[in-house]
Amino acid sequence: MNRMHDSIDDQLESLFRAYREACPAPEPKPEFMPELWRRIEARQRFAFSFRRMANALVTAAVAASIALGVYMSLPHGVSSNPSYYTSYVEALANANTIETPDIVAPVRLDLSDSQ
Amino acid sequence: MLVDFEQIKRAQAGDSVAFNEIVTAYRKRILGTITRLIARPEDVEDVAQEVFLRLYFSLDQLRTAEVFEPWLYRLTVNAAYDYLRKQRRRQEYRMSDLSEQQMIMADALAGGRADSDQREAKKTRETVDALLGAVSEADRILLMLKELEGLSLKELEKIYNINENALKVRLFRARQRVLKAFEAVAKRKEPVKAG
Repeated sequence: MNRMHDSIDDQLESLFRAYREACPAPEPKPEFMPELWRRIEARQRFAFSFRRMANALVTAAVAASIALGVYMSLPHGVSSNPSYYTSYVEALANANTIETPDIVAPVRLDLSDSQ
Repeated sequence: MLVDFEQIKRAQAGDSVAFNEIVTAYRKRILGTITRLIARPEDVEDVAQEVFLRLYFSLDQLRTAEVFEPWLYRLTVNAAYDYLRKQRRRQEYRMSDLSEQQMIMADALAGGRADSDQREAKKTRETVDALLGAVSEADRILLMLKELEGLSLKELEKIYNINENALKVRLFRARQRVLKAFEAVAKRKEPVKAG
């Protein structure tokens, strides 16, 4: 059994040897280097345009943040609108004063007409 | 080492002549390794170019000269592994998948025009390729680097960044699986021989 295993092992070894001989290193084609440089340049171009796009995006985001910050810090229109100074409860009380009985007064049902 | 560290340093600084020298020095060796790893001659140059492309863009990370070769091997292994993962077809050489060159070769084989050496080499490549189908792509590459490229355990240790014992276990298991597959093939062939 062991001898058989050894022989299989040897056969595999010789198969690997035959494989090594069956796969000799090919001669590089003449266009190997130009093609390699073409690929390098293509990837560099892609990386460059991607970086430029990313930079432009970052710049635009920073500019938008600054513009929004400046806009928010300006007191425009606040003084003309009194609701900015009142709380929600106060605004509600102002809107529904005691002079508006249709809202605050109890509902009266006159049942005499219906009989 | 086929280049000196000065050349590598110049290439790191962006000297394209130095980079060309490195590629020229190593390309035949890398082409040979890839040929044996992927067993598809028509894609060998493409994978080799991917290796040197990765080398170009990661060369600035290299700090010492002695790790250059294991590092280049690692790039080769990774590129071959990526290629094999993409392919996954291995032995399924359907006619629709064959390149023009392979079609000519297949025609010649069918017509008996190819000489017996070429036929024998093709058969050997296909047999080994099929046997290595018994293990994962990662183990197939590891086994090939050891058995076909003749790399030592120390060299493999540097390439894979794992300790020798773990490497030995992985190699042993992979070899056992291939042996088992080979044994099965040999058993199937025996009755034919007898008859």
